[in-house]
Amino acid sequence: MSASRRLDALLAAGVGFVAGVPCSYLKTFFAGCRELPLSSFLPAVREDHAVAACAGAWLGGTRAAAVMQNSGLGYCLEVLTSLHLMYHVPLPMLVSDRGDPSDFEEHRILGQRTRQLLDLFEIPWAEARPGVEGDDASWLVAASERERRPAVLLVGKGADS
Amino acid sequence: MTRAEAVALVLPLLADDDIVVAADGAISREAYRAHDRPRTFYMLGSMGQVASIALGLAMTRMERVVALDGDGNLLMGFGGLALVGGLRPANLYHLVLDNGCYATTGGQPALSQDVDLAAVAAGAGYRWARRCLSGEHARGAMEAWLAAPGPALLDLAVDASDVDPAPRVPMTPEEMAARVRAALAT
Repeated sequence: MSASRRLDALLAAGVGFVAGVPCSYLKTFFAGCRELPLSSFLPAVREDHAVAACAGAWLGGTRAAAVMQNSGLGYCLEVLTSLHLMYHVPLPMLVSDRGDPSDFEEHRILGQRTRQLLDLFEIPWAEARPGVEGDDASWLVAASERERRPAVLLVGKGADS
Repeated sequence: MTRAEAVALVLPLLADDDIVVAADGAISREAYRAHDRPRTFYMLGSMGQVASIALGLAMTRMERVVALDGDGNLLMGFGGLALVGGLRPANLYHLVLDNGCYATTGGQPALSQDVDLAAVAAGAGYRWARRCLSGEHARGAMEAWLAAPGPALLDLAVDASDVDPAPRVPMTPEEMAARVRAALAT
């Protein structure tokens, strides 16, 4: 058991490698990641490197998940399109859901278009629900593997558990 | 020494179970032409991510992982160099085929002519990092690099001119990924 029920749920769903860049909406999740073995967690310097490392782990046979703020989707787009989508690489992603009207300005422009962006690239997404972390993780892993593409669980304020 | 000659020189030095990540563009095509092997992943896009893909493999596999990178490619994803240096996986071997330019797009000069990539790698935390400027010493430099403690980076100068370009790899991206996955599952 780690500090994060969402992380534990991903591990229970077979995830063996996590790479990401922190977001304050995902503090609990990242606290859990710090308890993982050194070979299972990559604290990336930018989100594109995180998703690329996940593709490497997947090529080697390890189910890998990426975690980031939704602003990081912009940095990831080239890798998600010309690596994961093109090579049919599954990628469960936990993405914070920043950008509602009460959030800071820097989160709003991309944040308010996160769902449109995912829809544009036919990346399945769902909203994380507190209390059913196991169901959320099962959906996320199954959706990405069934379609062999990235799938996103959007983690709103208070859904990081 | 041309880049293709350097690629053809390094592949026979590797063990059969080494895992290779070949950079998008000419390096992948030359690696395929010189010596296709099931444990080579041929990148087509996602420029800048050679080291990061190799890092994901190196962290989760026991075998040696060899990244065949380009100088422009490495510069685009410089954060990947920091990740390898900071996490220091002992089984990651990084070869930069450094022609000082963006050859695929017409030979525009790259900043690698002014940035010492081996010095940066050493500063980032690679356990071994060297630069080799002469083709006649390339083989010896490669042998020293592969015998060094990892992560190790060899910045190998190659000609800027592209003669005898290699054709595209005749597999779909899905086939390329599936073949590496299958080779690593056995």
